[in-house]
Amino acid sequence: MKISKNPFELAPAINNSRNLILEQVMPLLYGVILAAAVWILWRGHHAPGGGFIGGLTALAATAAQAIVFGVPSALRRMPLGPMPLAVTGVALALCSGLPATWFGHPYLTHLWFDVPLGFTQLPLSTVLLFDIGVFCAVWGTLSGYIFALLRGSDATSPGEQS
Amino acid sequence: MQATDLKPHAAKARYLSVALPPLAGFLLLIWGLIHHPLPWQGSLDWAPSLGLTFAVYVDGLSAQFLALITGIGALVFLYATGYLAGEPRQGRLFLILTVFMLAMIGVVIADHLLLLFLFWELTSLTSFLLVGFYHENEQSRTSARQALLVTMSGGLALLAAILLLGEISGGYSLQALIAQGPTLADDPRLPAALILLLVGCFTKSAQFPFHFWLPNAMTAPTPVSAYLHSATMVKLGIYLLARLDPALNHLLLWESALMSIGTLTAVWGAVLALRERDLKRILAWSTVSALGTLTLLIGLPNPGAGLAVAAFLFAHALYKAPLFMVAGNIDHATGTRVIDHLMGLHRAMPWTAMAAILAGLSMAGLPLSFGFVAKDLISVAKADAEVLTVVSYATLFVNAIAAAVAGIATLRVFGGPPRWPRGEAHEVSWRMALPPLLIALVAIEFEFLPGVADPLLGAAAIAIAPSLGVIRDIDASYPSGKVITATEITLLVGLILFLIWDWLHGLLQRIHWLDRIGPTACYELLLKQLTRVAAWQTGLLQRGRLAGYLSWTLTGLLALAIGASFAMHQASEPGWGGLLDWSTLVFADWPAQHWAWLTAAVLMIAGAAASMVLRHRMALLMASGLVGYGSAVLFLFTGAPDLAFTQFAVETALVVVAAALLPHYGAPPVLSNEPVLRNALLALASGAGVLLLLVHLFALPADAQLATWFGEASLPLAHGRNVVNVIIVDFRALDTLGEITVVMFSLLAALPLLGALARSVKREG
Amino acid sequence: MSLILALAIALTVAAGVYLALSRDLFRCIVGLAVLGSAVNLVVFAAGRFGPIQPPIVSAGAEKLAEHAANPLPQALVLTAIVISFALLCFSLVLGARLRQQSGSDDSNQLRNAEPLPADPVKPPVLD
Repeated sequence: MKISKNPFELAPAINNSRNLILEQVMPLLYGVILAAAVWILWRGHHAPGGGFIGGLTALAATAAQAIVFGVPSALRRMPLGPMPLAVTGVALALCSGLPATWFGHPYLTHLWFDVPLGFTQLPLSTVLLFDIGVFCAVWGTLSGYIFALLRGSDATSPGEQS
Repeated sequence: MQATDLKPHAAKARYLSVALPPLAGFLLLIWGLIHHPLPWQGSLDWAPSLGLTFAVYVDGLSAQFLALITGIGALVFLYATGYLAGEPRQGRLFLILTVFMLAMIGVVIADHLLLLFLFWELTSLTSFLLVGFYHENEQSRTSARQALLVTMSGGLALLAAILLLGEISGGYSLQALIAQGPTLADDPRLPAALILLLVGCFTKSAQFPFHFWLPNAMTAPTPVSAYLHSATMVKLGIYLLARLDPALNHLLLWESALMSIGTLTAVWGAVLALRERDLKRILAWSTVSALGTLTLLIGLPNPGAGLAVAAFLFAHALYKAPLFMVAGNIDHATGTRVIDHLMGLHRAMPWTAMAAILAGLSMAGLPLSFGFVAKDLISVAKADAEVLTVVSYATLFVNAIAAAVAGIATLRVFGGPPRWPRGEAHEVSWRMALPPLLIALVAIEFEFLPGVADPLLGAAAIAIAPSLGVIRDIDASYPSGKVITATEITLLVGLILFLIWDWLHGLLQRIHWLDRIGPTACYELLLKQLTRVAAWQTGLLQRGRLAGYLSWTLTGLLALAIGASFAMHQASEPGWGGLLDWSTLVFADWPAQHWAWLTAAVLMIAGAAASMVLRHRMALLMASGLVGYGSAVLFLFTGAPDLAFTQFAVETALVVVAAALLPHYGAPPVLSNEPVLRNALLALASGAGVLLLLVHLFALPADAQLATWFGEASLPLAHGRNVVNVIIVDFRALDTLGEITVVMFSLLAALPLLGALARSVKREG
Repeated sequence: MSLILALAIALTVAAGVYLALSRDLFRCIVGLAVLGSAVNLVVFAAGRFGPIQPPIVSAGAEKLAEHAANPLPQALVLTAIVISFALLCFSLVLGARLRQQSGSDDSNQLRNAEPLPADPVKPPVLD
């Protein structure tokens, strides 16, 4: 948090002054927003939502965390570093098209399965895998930008410090 | 460059092995000719959807070229190993030469015209690389560029011709085109196609007025000159002309163009040969002259000319290639190619001298040589065709000069008392002495072994002139008295020219205006003007200013948009009336949510207007955010909650990111002389264009085909109820995959920049 | 009503172009952002403004209702928004770095890719 000569209004919050209320609420908030993001992702195929929006929501959680507790803390709470996360997302999306080729369909033809759980059926599909890929790519990439910009003077690139 | 035998044997063996592929090709060809009757054909699908096939057709003409390419190729490769011994870059030369050879083979066996064009251009390209082989030499670079520009421009003309011919005949098969023959004549596009075709062939085969690149290409290493610029590549134009002659020779344009340009080139090349002192350039001009003769022969209407073409093509390759090698040997041994300094080399270089004499016999058309047979057939062909007297005399003159050049290259250089600049001339290594001797011997041997020559030439002649029918025995066409007389006259004139060479040379050298008005001068002028035009338009369009580029792009876009919308309008409703139909502007759509829409519009307008005038950066950012929020509101109330949410999130994130980066930008600069008015006009025009577009768009009925399809298919096919999401992750998943990849790469590209940014911030404080 | 929206979009385009034509690098990038929003709106408008009902197949139904919004432009614009955001982030970072290197906000001063020519073929650029 060493951006100096920061002329804009948000600066104090980002820089050094602490916001006690936010610090108290943040752990809970982070979980709630992230859960909401996953929920948006999950239901996106049938209701408004999806990977892009879910990814942006998750980004909101990460950004809030980074603003309140600093970049390292936000990084710790992510499953992977930004760049690895983005790459994983693209790789997931890439791979989601492969099973179809095994069954002789064109690449990226999606498949659906119902996994019996005893009490209910869990609908799984490669399309969900694809959407998770989109989610991760958006979340990873954009949080990479946010971290790099918030960190300001830290010399390392955001992916390296986790 | 010293012919060195000090190189390790391993290296020598390695370079000797480069001659093996052409040799193997040659042997394979001979084997094939003996065991399989021509024509050979085959086809391989390449890109069937585009109608491209790798179609191959080998008839007598192709086989003749293949024999030249591989046979002379093998010896040229061998020669080059000696000529370039010790040259560190010879690996490169052999690589390019091999590519060239393959491209040549491709041209002469291709049946698909586009395939032929592909290989044709590849020969031009390799020729460029080979001419510019000594690229540290400026002359060499200039010549290479010249060869490239001339032959490649011709290549473009050829491509246009091929496309036109393809359109006219409905296909790209060469054989089918030839089979269609006379039926092509009715098409009005044919003359254009013919002229383009002729330009393509004439540039390649150095016909007037495109001939000048060939003598300049002599800056290439001598093996290259012997191979590309006398025996094979420059004959490609001749090849294509001869190949298409059966289909086109009934056309007056074709015949007259070939005969007139051929004659002109033959005479012009012969005259300019007299102006040179450099042995290699003399030979090059005589090559131009020979190529002219070949063109003229193809233009002759009678079938006998086909035989003459085939014979002279062969004879020329077989004497010109060795003579070039001889010139290279002399250069190697004495360090000069200027004929004034060279005399009596036969003592120092007996093997080279023998090769020169044998080749010279053929070139002069003396009896006992293959050149004699060829000249003879030419005379017969002309006698049969009843050509214009002027053409007859012209060929007589050309042949006489050829004889004189042969005399220069042999008698003058090798005869007489020894005299050369370097203290001690020596015979060159066997690798350089053997190839010319061998080729020259083949030329003589042909004369004595008609059993070998007749089938090959006969087959080639039938390909050029199908009406020739059964080939008569070539020897049987021998001298009627008239022909003998012509030969004698030619030789006599040739002898006189040889004797007064120096006087003639001096005379021609004094005619300086030839340099000023010739095609070379035109080429130079063209090149200079081209550079100036390029500089002018670069200065106009590419000033290295971001705003300038943007202005030009926008102007172009606007012009396109205006043109397109006007055309569309004219198509639907001709005339000027109703270009702006006011009735379309009165909208009756006031839906229930119109207050939300109005809010969105007000937000957007306010944001847009504010961002134009605000200078403070944070304020500017907020104003631009207003536009985003406005559109988000609009999305929310037009049934697009996904979009609305995304836009809100993105707009917020953008403001945060930009605000975080603001410290890295300075205070808003005061930029004087910014063309505010021009920018505003351009902006207004863009806005007006978009407004017009939208108004017209709204007036059209919406095309709901796709929307309906997606709406119907979403659930049954993709098991999803959110159609937008289904489109993104399923129906258009590949697009989305590309898009998230782009998003990821943007971070990858930004990381180093961010690192640099952070480092320098740290340094500052 | 659509006319008012069309006017708003047109004005946004004009503002975007005007800003993008500025020599001030920052304004130029903000212009890019505004222009991006405007273009998204134009694409969206091609699908017509209309129903408030989102393009979601309601429970029990087999296909999209007649009065639902057009899904196709939404799908196009949704990805376009995210992509243009990534592009803008990149441009902002790039611009900041360029600003830092050249010390000027004037885009005419940025001559890394096209330095003032020493090449005689290219004429000197007049400033």
